[in-house]
Amino acid sequence: MELKTPRGVKDFLPVEARWKTELESEIRRIFRTWGFQEIITPTFEFFEIFEQGSINAREAYRFVGRDGELLTLRYDLTTPIARMVASRLKDQPKPLRLAYLANVFRYDDVQVGFQREFYQSGVELIGSANPATDAEIIALAITLFNTMGVKDFRLDIGQVEFFHGIMEDCQCQKTKKLIWKALLRNDLVGLRDVVNSTELNESTKKLLLDLPQLRGQAEVLDEAYCKTENHRARQAILNLKQVYQLLVDYGVTDQVYIDLGMVKSLEYYTGVVLEGYVPDIGFTLISGGRYDNLSSRFGNQLPAVGFALGLERLMLVLEQQGLKPANKAQGILVLPHDWVKALQYAKEQRQAGIQVEIDTEELTVEQAKKYAAAKNMKALVVAGEKLEIIELAED
Amino acid sequence: MVLSIAVSKGRLLDSFIEILEKAKYPCDNLKKETRKLVIESKEAGLRFILAKPADVPTYVEYGAADLGVVGKDTLMEADKNVAELVDLGYGRCQLVVAIPKALGITNVTDLDFNSRVASKYPRITLEFFNKKGIQVEIIPLNGSIELGPIIGLSEAIVDITETGRTLVENGLVVIDTIMESTSRLIANQVSLKTKRQEVFDLVKAIEGVI
Repeated sequence: MELKTPRGVKDFLPVEARWKTELESEIRRIFRTWGFQEIITPTFEFFEIFEQGSINAREAYRFVGRDGELLTLRYDLTTPIARMVASRLKDQPKPLRLAYLANVFRYDDVQVGFQREFYQSGVELIGSANPATDAEIIALAITLFNTMGVKDFRLDIGQVEFFHGIMEDCQCQKTKKLIWKALLRNDLVGLRDVVNSTELNESTKKLLLDLPQLRGQAEVLDEAYCKTENHRARQAILNLKQVYQLLVDYGVTDQVYIDLGMVKSLEYYTGVVLEGYVPDIGFTLISGGRYDNLSSRFGNQLPAVGFALGLERLMLVLEQQGLKPANKAQGILVLPHDWVKALQYAKEQRQAGIQVEIDTEELTVEQAKKYAAAKNMKALVVAGEKLEIIELAED
Repeated sequence: MVLSIAVSKGRLLDSFIEILEKAKYPCDNLKKETRKLVIESKEAGLRFILAKPADVPTYVEYGAADLGVVGKDTLMEADKNVAELVDLGYGRCQLVVAIPKALGITNVTDLDFNSRVASKYPRITLEFFNKKGIQVEIIPLNGSIELGPIIGLSEAIVDITETGRTLVENGLVVIDTIMESTSRLIANQVSLKTKRQEVFDLVKAIEGVI
């Protein structure tokens, strides 16, 4: 038997596991202080539920239950939450503010910080289309990363309706898709080729080619507004302006960039979209936006906005920015020369929140010192007639 | 901020250096040095990372390099999430399907249903034949693809060609062209945001001289 794990999954050893748990506690605390309540969804559900969401079916871990039902390992949390809101939380007052921290499973090429099993944290604000909810989500995302200590965190916001508006005259869905794909990947060469080969009018062509440059701070919104006469596109800009003004009030706009060339998934997102990153780390840390149509697939018309972040990616960034906590010595090892005294001592220490391990292997003091040092403990306590405390590590 | 660029050595690098110098990005060090894998050009604000062509998209996707220079063929095969900024116009070649002349067919649809195709581009090859509805077995190779039919490893090959000379010399004829390729300037998606000014200054300068 080979003692290895399948590609795409990994073990968290004690030091990493502890760090992960601490990060999750902090994220949980921040979500809670913003009024988001944590929910837990099943590890597997019917495929037909996930199918309604933003899913690449090929990447879903699907399997057949004993009764022949098609099941899927948790692919995301947004879709099960939409199901939950349409059924069990149906009569709750809206809007709902829900949070989650869970592992998800995707049979994908292994990428940076995205294994086939990875940990997601996120929030969903369901039942309101008010721009104040978009702003709240964006401000929460920024606050979260700042509080976690991430340096130079920035967030790009866009509005997919702007693209839909510009493309309103385009009858050909295939062309629209090709242009969207080029924008999604920032394929400027491909964008030029596709746009120039279309029948669109010259001003639309120019605007599409300018889209990747429509990025910056508030001034970009006025610039974009003037560049189109399309009502839908202009509404998108006005919506983004409202959100941006609220972000000014939140005091976070020095970390916000407007990027009208950001298109993301068009079948899924319906309004504001967001993506967060830091310089010198080549991948995005958080992604999200408004998705007003998902709940209707569960027979429930509720607007919603949310974001998700990958915990492993957050850990990678903290590590690269030198913010991974040092592996500090902690806890004590008790050598029970007098069993009763040792237990009493351990009980007191544990009640005080100290990490205590009692030797069960009848180690000598010298052996115990080595063992405790190898496990990075702070002190060795010999519990005999008297208590003898041997410090092993400086504070 | 310094921009790092993953490039691969060889003839194509000379073409890129020429463009950079015309665009007023001096890179004397890059011309001189031969063994170093990372070469700085302080005056130009550039750091060159010398990589294998097929690795350039990977370096860029992971953000190990802000930018990269790579052929469209390699870029398509790698299928990475990177931004494509400029068609540099040089390194022009075609990715073609070729067979031994002796096989006597002129159209890919005439390939036998269990034909084997050797290629350095298994992904593009598979997609091409799938689109045509032709079932073939793809044999991934890393070089000297022309050998495939000669030694009886495959019936056909998919490879790049500039003039077609190597193919002719090996008794092969082109029966289809999958794509045209030229060198491209690519960028990491996050560098495009965080080093925007530097990236687009370079893009504009390059576009001005090609």
